[in-house]
Amino acid sequence: MPSELDTRLFDPGRINLLIGILLFLAFLIINMLRARAGHSFFIRPLAGLQALDEAIGRATEMGRPILYMPGLGDMSEVGTLASITIMTRVARKVAELGCDLEVPCYDPMVMAIMDGVARQAYREVGREHDYKVGSIYYVSAQQFAYVAAVTGMMLRDRPAANIYMGSFYAESLFLAETGNLTGAIQIAGCDKVTQLPFFVCACDYTLLGEELFAAGAYIGREPVQLATIAAQDWAKALAIAVMLIVLLLTAFGHPELRRILQVS
Amino acid sequence: MYLGPILLTFVVGATLIALYFIPHHQAQEINSELLLWATIVYAFALILGSVSLWSVHAQRIRQRISGWPFSLVTLFALLGTTFMGVAWGIGEESPLGRFYSMVNSPLASTMFALLAFFIASAAFRAFRARNVEATLLLVTAIVMMIGRVSVGEFIWRGFPGLTEWLLDVPNLAAKRAIAIGVGLGAVSTALKIILGIERGYLGRTR
Repeated sequence: MPSELDTRLFDPGRINLLIGILLFLAFLIINMLRARAGHSFFIRPLAGLQALDEAIGRATEMGRPILYMPGLGDMSEVGTLASITIMTRVARKVAELGCDLEVPCYDPMVMAIMDGVARQAYREVGREHDYKVGSIYYVSAQQFAYVAAVTGMMLRDRPAANIYMGSFYAESLFLAETGNLTGAIQIAGCDKVTQLPFFVCACDYTLLGEELFAAGAYIGREPVQLATIAAQDWAKALAIAVMLIVLLLTAFGHPELRRILQVS
Repeated sequence: MYLGPILLTFVVGATLIALYFIPHHQAQEINSELLLWATIVYAFALILGSVSLWSVHAQRIRQRISGWPFSLVTLFALLGTTFMGVAWGIGEESPLGRFYSMVNSPLASTMFALLAFFIASAAFRAFRARNVEATLLLVTAIVMMIGRVSVGEFIWRGFPGLTEWLLDVPNLAAKRAIAIGVGLGAVSTALKIILGIERGYLGRTR
């Protein structure tokens, strides 16, 4: 119905979200400028990421492959993008040490991008010819068919290290438990809160939530990347402050202020 | 070399963010159109996926790599389902539809049913009282399990209330803390990609 067509140029119900994004952008710019001015940022050590090198080294010594799983998310999932960032660093290390890397993919688009990322990593360390075509491959876009194929591969090939980074769903425990059964060193990072307990139970190291997104900057150690983590911390401090203020105001009889945290 | 893709990412990312805040019907039509483009790109990526699937499994069969008979089944299924879909369509009553509901769905359900056993083995490992944290987890799990079954109320009337409190207070607080961190991390990653700070998806490690 033409009369029902929305002709507004801005949704006022989302003004709080817009302010939040603009503030975050401001934090990002300020911290990037600080990084360029030579300010150093401290990031607490993340055991899971420190163990990545150990896992790759162990696989090289044992002569067994590393299994990298980018999760079941597609390219619209931020967890998948974070996984690709980590993969660039893992592929680089793998190329330097010369061990085998296997990346079974659930999404064909993720597979194509992972393949390009790995090729580029090999090229950067000057070992382009060592890259094995077919080491990054498509398995299935069916959740449990993917599980059956990957767990079967784990039991047959016995990879020395299993790295789970990205968005995982009900398959998380199947994969992690089977990997645990094979005795592989297991490192996981997931942005799905409901799947984290399963990884914590079955893996040696687990990156909890936001640590997955910080991983790229943590491994790369580039000042501008580290600045983005500082911006994230500022945003978190602001979120805590806003929540505390709204909580106190609600307790003192101003519940209507809770609306500033609601998005339409 | 990377300017083109970075610029394209910036334009598309910034446009989609802007469209989220503009409820105008024409803006939303553009949004729907862009999402349709993503579906079309995915369809092309599926061709790449099929080629990858074929080449990887054909190589395994040729070289008789461990587990090659499974690869044979995979390729047979790939060819068979493609033929059924092309020859008789993909409706619910078509051979492909029947194959899906009578073979694929029960197989997926069987796999899913195995989850109970995996949970049991993971729980067994997690609930070993090795230190204070693990003991706390064990005690909480026992309270939760007793409190969620009807006999729990007969043992002690407070069990159901205690389980509700555990779920709604400490559990929810931890979940929300992680969820807020994930949300901020996701926004940060998205902005880094849109602004060209993070270029990992282009294959750059430096």
